Order: sequence, then structure tokens, then C-alpha cells
Amino acid sequence: MISRRTVIKNLVISVGGSSLLSACGGRVTLGAAPPGGSPRFYTEREIAVLSRVSDLLLPRTETPGALDAQVPSLLDQLMAEWASRETQDEHRTALAELDARLGARSAGDFLDATSAVAEQALIAVDRAAFSGEQIEGYRDLKGLITQAYFATEAGAEESQWVGVPGRWDPCMERS
Amino acid sequence: MADFDAIVVGSGMSGGWSAKELAERGLKVLVLERGPEILPERDYTDRLPPWERPNLDRVPQDEIAEHYPRQYGGVAYAIKETTKHFWVKDDEHPYEEAEGTSYDWLRGYHTGGRSIMWSRQAYRLGPQDFEANGREGVGVDWPVRYEDIAPWYDHVERFAGIAGSAEGLTQLPDGVFQPPFALTCAEEDFKARVEAAFPGRNVIPARVAHVTAATEEQRGLGRSNCRVRNRCEHGCVYKAYFSSLNATLPAAQRTGNLTMVHNAIVQSIDYDPATARVTGVRVIDAETRERRVYTARVIFLNASTIASAMILLQSTSESFPNGLANRSDQVGRNLMDHISGAGASGLMAGFEDKTVYGRRPGGIYIPRYANVTETEKPFRRGFGFQGSATPVSTTGGQLVGIGRAFKESHSAPGPWRVGIGAFGEQLPSPENRVTLHPSRRDKWGNPVAILNVTYGDNERIMMEEARKDAIAMLEAAGCTDIRSAEVELTRPGNRIHEMGSARMGRDPATSVLNGWCQAHDVPNLFVTDGSFMASSACQNPSLTYMAFSARAAKYAADLMADGTL
Repeated sequence: MISRRTVIKNLVISVGGSSLLSACGGRVTLGAAPPGGSPRFYTEREIAVLSRVSDLLLPRTETPGALDAQVPSLLDQLMAEWASRETQDEHRTALAELDARLGARSAGDFLDATSAVAEQALIAVDRAAFSGEQIEGYRDLKGLITQAYFATEAGAEESQWVGVPGRWDPCMERS
Repeated sequence: MADFDAIVVGSGMSGGWSAKELAERGLKVLVLERGPEILPERDYTDRLPPWERPNLDRVPQDEIAEHYPRQYGGVAYAIKETTKHFWVKDDEHPYEEAEGTSYDWLRGYHTGGRSIMWSRQAYRLGPQDFEANGREGVGVDWPVRYEDIAPWYDHVERFAGIAGSAEGLTQLPDGVFQPPFALTCAEEDFKARVEAAFPGRNVIPARVAHVTAATEEQRGLGRSNCRVRNRCEHGCVYKAYFSSLNATLPAAQRTGNLTMVHNAIVQSIDYDPATARVTGVRVIDAETRERRVYTARVIFLNASTIASAMILLQSTSESFPNGLANRSDQVGRNLMDHISGAGASGLMAGFEDKTVYGRRPGGIYIPRYANVTETEKPFRRGFGFQGSATPVSTTGGQLVGIGRAFKESHSAPGPWRVGIGAFGEQLPSPENRVTLHPSRRDKWGNPVAILNVTYGDNERIMMEEARKDAIAMLEAAGCTDIRSAEVELTRPGNRIHEMGSARMGRDPATSVLNGWCQAHDVPNLFVTDGSFMASSACQNPSLTYMAFSARAAKYAADLMADGTL
């Protein structure tokens, strides 16, 4: 029987190892599509932007991050299979606007920005979006990335989700 | 010679009970289910972990638009990619609404009906609920009182398994309980503060039809204790929550007296004027379109409130030109539901270092106090609140920040929020009704329903008052960030508690059924789904349907045994 840890380790290997995007100085081109596969919905640029944003939002720490959990490829599948044409268009528009905003704050192309610059750009956009500024689709996109992450086995471990609790404890100390 | 002793139309919440009780009396029972068979080992999806549910378990949006616009619009929370097979496709099962009205007819056609998808809240009606119509001159007086049905509540609770606490409240009588799901620490605090500020109001654990201390009888049916997973809408391989499929149908099956036929859509019931009895039912096979007639000595209608009324209306004859058992002209009328749309939520401080373990099936319940312990309300009857106080969920991505801090914020100490929402009583009105479309037919040739239900001033005023009360209780509990949307009444039918379309009463001129759920006009015809309800009370009604079904089955079996039927 394969252990959860082994599965996660294999997932990590399948997308190329740790800190693939955020630590690289060069242009980011690799997404997190299934190994050997290409995106069904996103363009190469879209999935590269989505991957970098996902990695900045939920990086690998002591536990797997969004790329380890293959969140971009999950969203690619979601958009291809679940979303209506209208939702696809809205999502694409939101991603393009985010790309442009992040580019403007990166003094150029977001994908060419250093890790530090890219991080500061996303922090600024995120703060604005949670301070009442209308940033088309950003909070929805962040919600999708986060929900997709926590719905993976890696994310479930991060949130300490238990499939069969077996008992109810109505009041316990946080560990 | 009839094919069967009894035919039960419908295998859901009440039909399962009718079948079980009749079969256990040694009667040969045929259950007709209009939908396909559900096999738990094949069709339950409760064991799928999140990462094996495709696309965040979302049904494709185009598929919703094509097949589930009404169902999804009513219960989006329950219709997932891995549960959609439990809900009807609206395009296959259309209905119409009278001009200017709106109705949510939310349902599933398959073994067990909605007992698979119900919310499992299980409360007794109280003495006041059986007395109000008569006292107030509203609708017709119930022909039974609480004392008549109390032993039958005992009977069904013992078998079904109800987790709950004895509270000694007159208006919400205690029952045969298994251990409750205890209140969270924030709920305990909320309870203490609310009960101190409002004597006469109570905050108690929700009573839910979940096995928490399985009896020998329940274990014998393969049922075991609730694993606290909150996967009920997907079925339950542990059979921990009550459903026909988990409990009553297997109990009927093991008697050797049950025959179950699926895909059998009942079109009408045959009536013999010479004997003044019904003799059988006419069905069409949903798949093959083959038509058949099954005969029996007794017929139980358990097709659900709207469908049972439609079957009666479709069963016309010289004796009953306006529909079987409808000399009172009350079949299809007095259609009720519960009403919601009022509530509030607020943050509760002081529990940030605490959390919960497990995902229990129910939270808190605030039993009705309006016009019980508190009087001089500007409306009749009352409402209960359902709710909970739990740590705020953070996995939806709606927290500020990025990176390690954002990631770790999901497991960091955080706030708790209490929320309560009202379920109110809807008064019966003969104008609220289901009728048959004069010309439109479904793909099996059966008339399409026209639903015509509106709320009155009593419901509207009640919910406005409920909202004020909810806010006041949260304020008394010391909540901050209290949020309460303006009252927006739920659409009729949206609470999925439809009832009343063949009400019981003492007078055959004004009611369809007598106190035994037996048709006044036809002694071997019983209707024991929600149709019989003479008023809606405000408690979730399934437990009451179960109790009346079991009581009616005993009565019918006794009449068959002594030769009356």
C-alpha cells in the first residue's frame, strides 16, 4: 500500500522538485500541467502566470505547496470541464487583468520578474483586493486556487482533514 | 384474488414505514417505486475523498442549465457531481407555476426517495400543534391529539435512531433518544447567555436521525454508529442515518413478504363502485413504457405530498369525477411548506484557542417559544431556529495575504461564528394547491403539475419578527460583527417540507382522510405521506410522517385481520 507521504513525494517529483518557480531568476515557462500533457484550457502564458501566482500564494514550506499539489492543472481541468463559456471568458479576463496589474508592478513582464519583485507585486494586488478595491475576478481566482489546493491530498494534510473522524469532540485545544 | 395484500406507492420516508409495518404483520406487500434502483455499494459516493471527486465536485455549469436549473437553484449545496444522480432532471420532470407564483419542487426519484438526501432533523410535534387549528378556527381541526400519536413517535424513534437530549419542554416533547451530539463550547456559552436573557427560550442540541448507540435491532440491519463525517448527502455505507434504504426497506425485505418494483410510475388507481373499494393501480414502466395493473386488498399512497394528490386527481371515474376520494374537493389544496428567510450570525469571542473534531450532522435548535412561552405576538403560531456556533472556515481563500503567512493562517487560531435561521409555520389555505395541467403531459403521458402557492401576511410578519429576535439573541450573547440580511422569504417548496394536500379531519365534507390516514370516501385507501397534515407546525416533519405511517399500517392490518377490509 502506497503511503500518503509517498504519493506527495511523487507529485513533487512529477513537477520537477522544490521551489521551481519562485526561486528561479529566469523567465518562467513551466506550468504544472500533467507530466507529458499540455493545457486543455489555458494558453502557455496563462498557465505560467497561474502557476507563478499559485506558487506565491501557497508555496512549499515544510508541507507541499500549490505546485506540488498540481493546482494549475486542476484548474485547467476545471475550466475545461466544469465552466460554461461565460465563466471561461470571465476567468480568462480576470487572469489577463491580473497579469497586467502584476506586470505593471513588476516594471515589465511578471514572468520575468525576480522572486522578490513578483512577491511584492502580488502582495500589493492582494492587499488592494481585500481593501475594497474592485479587482476583476482576483478574489474569485484566489478562492479557486485555495479551494483546489485544500481539495487535494496534500491540501487535506495541510488542513488536517480526516476522512473518518469517528467521534465528535465539541471543544478541544488547538494543537 | 388480488396480486398482493397491500400496495405501497413510493419507497421514501413514509413508504418505507408503511411497507415495513405491513410486511411485519405477515401481509404480502408490493412497493412501487417510480425511479431506478439505488444500490448502496454501487451508488453511494460517501467514501470518495475530496481529491477523487472531479472538479471540486461541481456539476458542469452547462449541465446544470440543461438538466437541473430548478433543483440546483433550490439546493445548490446538495447537488454535486457525485450526488446529482439523487436528484431529478428538471427537463425530464417538468412542472408549471401559476402566474405570479413560484415554487421549488425539489426531489429525487429512486429507491428511498428523499429519505436519502434529507437533512435528518427529527422533532416531535407538540400538543399545541394538534390543537391550534381547532382553537383558532384555521383550516380543520386535527382529528388526533398528541397523546394519540405519542406512542407511535416512541415506536419509530426506537427503530430509526434519534440522537437527542431530553429537555422536558412541553412544546417539543422528548422521545426515545440515543446520545446527542454535544454542543460546542461556543454553543454552550450562547445557550447560557440566551437562556439567561430570555427565560422561556431554550438552546438545545439538534435532534437528528443518526445512530449514536446502535441497538441490537439496528446492528442486525447492518447499521452502525455515525462516524461524524458529514457525508450524508452522498449516502452512508455505515447506514448510520435513517433512510428507507438504510433501515425500513431492509427490515421489510427480511420478512420475505416484500416485492419491490422499480421504474413503475403510477398513473391511476382503479375503483370498483360495486364494492366501494379500490382494487389496484395502473402503472407505466419508466424505461419500456409497458403498462401493467397490480391489484391488492389495500393501497397506501406514499408518493409524496404533491405526487399523491396528483395520482388521486388523475384517478377519475363515474363515482369520483373530480378525483378519487375527493368528494370534499380538498385533494390538492392546503399545500404547505415551512418558511425561512430570517436569521443572523455573529462572531463569538473567547474561543480562539479552541476548535472541534469531527463533522457532526446537526448543530443547535431553538424550539418554538412564540405563542408558547411568549405571548402577544403580532402573528399566529411560531418558528424554531436551527444553527450552530463553530470555528469560521478558512479554506475558501477569502483571507488576506500570500505565501507562508497565508498558508499557515488556515490552521491558525481564529474566530468562531454563531448563525441561526428560522423555520416558521405556514398556515393552511385552500387556495394554495396543486392541480393537473389540462393539456400538458410529461413523456409518460401523465399530466404536469401546476403549483399555485403564495404566502400570507402571517408568514411575512412572522419572519420579520424572527429576524428581530435572532439579532436580539446574538446581541444578548455578546456577539460582534452581527450580520443579518433583510428578510427574503424562501420560495414555497424550498424547505422541502411540502405537506397538506389531502388533509385529515373529522368531517368527510371538509377533509380527505380520517384520523387514521384512511380516505373518508374509500375505506381501503390510505395516504400517509405529508399529504395528511392538517397544519404544518414549525418542526421538521419527517418524524411525524413516520409515526402516522406506522400507526395507519397497524390500523389497516388490524382491519384486514378482522375481516373489515
